[in-house]
Amino acid sequence: MAEKMLTVENLEIKFDLRGKKLNAIRGISLDLYKGEILAIVGESGSGKSVFTKSFMGLLEQNGKVTDGTIMYYGCDDGVPVELTSLKKEKEWYKIRGHEIAMIMQDPMTSLNPLKTIGAQIMEAVLLHQHLNRAEAKAKTLEYLKDVGIQDPERRFEQYPHEFSGGMRQRVVIAIAIACNPQILICDEPTTALDVTIQAQILDLIKELRHKYKLSVILITHDLGVVANIADRVAVMYAGDIVEIGTSEDIFYDPRHPYTWALLSSLPQIGVKGENLFSIPGTPPNLFTEVKGDAFAPRNPKALKIDFIERPPYFEVSPTHKARTWLLDPRAPKVDPPEVVEKIRNGGLI
Amino acid sequence: MEREVLLEVKDLDVSFGEKKKRYDAVKKVNFKIYKGETFGLVGESGSGKTTIGRAIMRIIPTAGGEILYKGEKINGKISKELDHKVIREIQMIFQDPQASLNERAKVDYIISEGLMNFEKNLSEEERLKRVDHALSEVGLLPEFASRFPHEFSGGQRQRIGIARALIMNPEFIIADEPISALDVSVRAQVLNLLSDMQKKHQITYLFIAHDLSVMRFITDRIAVIHKGEIVEMAETEELVTNPIHPYTRALLSAIPMPDPRHERSKKLLVYDPDMHDYKNSPPSWKELAPEHYVLANDKEAQEWVK
Ligand SMILES: Nc1ncnc2c1ncn2[C@@H]1O[C@H](COP(=O)(O)OP(=O)(O)OP(=O)(O)O)[C@@H](O)[C@H]1O
Ligand SMILES: Nc1ncnc2c1ncn2[C@@H]1O[C@H](COP(=O)(O)OP(=O)(O)OP(=O)(O)O)[C@@H](O)[C@H]1O
Ligand SMILES: [Mg+2]
Ligand SMILES: [Mg+2]
Repeated sequence: MAEKMLTVENLEIKFDLRGKKLNAIRGISLDLYKGEILAIVGESGSGKSVFTKSFMGLLEQNGKVTDGTIMYYGCDDGVPVELTSLKKEKEWYKIRGHEIAMIMQDPMTSLNPLKTIGAQIMEAVLLHQHLNRAEAKAKTLEYLKDVGIQDPERRFEQYPHEFSGGMRQRVVIAIAIACNPQILICDEPTTALDVTIQAQILDLIKELRHKYKLSVILITHDLGVVANIADRVAVMYAGDIVEIGTSEDIFYDPRHPYTWALLSSLPQIGVKGENLFSIPGTPPNLFTEVKGDAFAPRNPKALKIDFIERPPYFEVSPTHKARTWLLDPRAPKVDPPEVVEKIRNGGLI
Repeated sequence: MEREVLLEVKDLDVSFGEKKKRYDAVKKVNFKIYKGETFGLVGESGSGKTTIGRAIMRIIPTAGGEILYKGEKINGKISKELDHKVIREIQMIFQDPQASLNERAKVDYIISEGLMNFEKNLSEEERLKRVDHALSEVGLLPEFASRFPHEFSGGQRQRIGIARALIMNPEFIIADEPISALDVSVRAQVLNLLSDMQKKHQITYLFIAHDLSVMRFITDRIAVIHKGEIVEMAETEELVTNPIHPYTRALLSAIPMPDPRHERSKKLLVYDPDMHDYKNSPPSWKELAPEHYVLANDKEAQEWVK
């Protein structure tokens, strides 16, 4: 069995919004293994960013972990750290960057507009690697090259506003790598990039994973990217992981109706001039307690029990489980949509 | 049938910085966008796509060439009335939703700000009604109007940016990566919305995106841009099924498909700009198939269409 890096148990996160409580994460458990690439996909607003930000103590002030634990096992001294018990910013500094680094979804906000690109990467290098200034500068130029920025000497001296959206994103990746972390969380790292650069960045992430035995959590909406890079995939809906399995499990044998709906919305199966499939309805209001299966109101084939009781995880195989009553032995047989058959047979290519 | 040209870009140059530091971000770019069509612009990061959009929006000055909207020149010095008309009729959905939303304003204000500048006599009731409507069109709840941008997820913020553009009832929308931050389902919803709006109101789009599988679905024609120069332009299906320029071919080979087995075994084509031998024989714009234009020199033109 692979070595565990991080264990999340029954995590709950709530936001306080002017007196009202928003249930952003509703009881998630997850293990992350050393050297694996785990993709998190799912509805916008389902809690992907909030979930992973909690590993670094980066929730906004109005957000709190109200239940559950996050254990981190990667420290050099081998002593596990309960991240959910860290209170002071000072304690978090030991984790942030050096143990767990994150590439944020909005590259512009994570760069300082007043400092040159080079200075910002070099700062991370100096902080986390024992190098002198000349070595750090050389290393910084190397990272710029690594992330596909040409003419690094000239770019080193420039400011964020002089970079295009995609180039800023690559700088943010360079900064994260410069911290030498054990776990790298990438929140939509390639959305702003064209496909050829995206392919380079994905290759880079795979390479780093091998070189440094890095564990990677990749949040993305692009199921093509997931298929390209992920060992395992977690599907999130309304603050919960509703299905988790290997890439093969999720693409060729998905079980949760939300995963089915997700695959059915792919533009690759669209017909020009006709509307694409889109999931009817809206995601649940997280200000109120969700009853039963959160996806049931948008699932035309929902069972009666879906509206009454929250389904437990049912195991499909040792690598694959899903939270849906359809997997209960007593459930009627419901066939997956055609798209699943199509993907399995390589029909999208 | 002659189609009506809504926007024409002629020999457009845009550069940043002065003298020695001068950087030419857009070089002699030419294209026409017909009324009611969706024109796609794809290309490498940093190739000048956003810059072209911002030049059309008059946010940044042009260094050369012309931008014609409904036949009138809109770059450089223009009359007040024309400026007014351009601001009203052309809207841009910005790439970086975080940076483009005023963090201190409530969503309600952000969405209707542009509207209030044009309809000074708008009643409060009517304004709120339109904000509600715009929110629901992009799949957000009316309650969201009283929240601040940082209280939203990335995809939700992106939709606020779209609502802000749609509320103006524009004729022409420059959509800069409008859907890349959205999950596939909301993406489908927004794409359907954009195309419904097009059918209903004859809106014309300049659609900037990286994702060619989305582009293929939504655009009528595509221009491929590399380092500030357009290298290929054709109708979408023609371009996707019969790509000619090596950069376009590399782009197409790199599209990730939602199929793990395929992804693990695929071969990427790599484009190396040094492959061109343009010293003695510079490239020019050539029609290598009907309505299919490619930037190539004579030798390449012969080899590529073999
Ligand atoms: N500071 C905050 N205050 C109140 N609610 C918040 C705050 N931050 C996030 N939320 C809410 O928490 C939920 C989860 O947000 P999160 O950013 O994790 O979504 P996401 O899955 O990352 O979505 P996307 O794919 O759009 O980025 C959303 O409903 C969002 O509106
Ligand atoms: N304000 C500015 N000052 C200096 N250089 C700039 C400025 N804005 C853009 N550039 C440069 O112009 C070039 C084109 O940038 P642009 O933002 O148009 O690229 P893009 O095609 O939109 O890329 P992306 O897909 O990454 O968003 C880049 O090399 C960028 O560094
Ligand atoms: Mg997010
Ligand atoms: Mg751009």
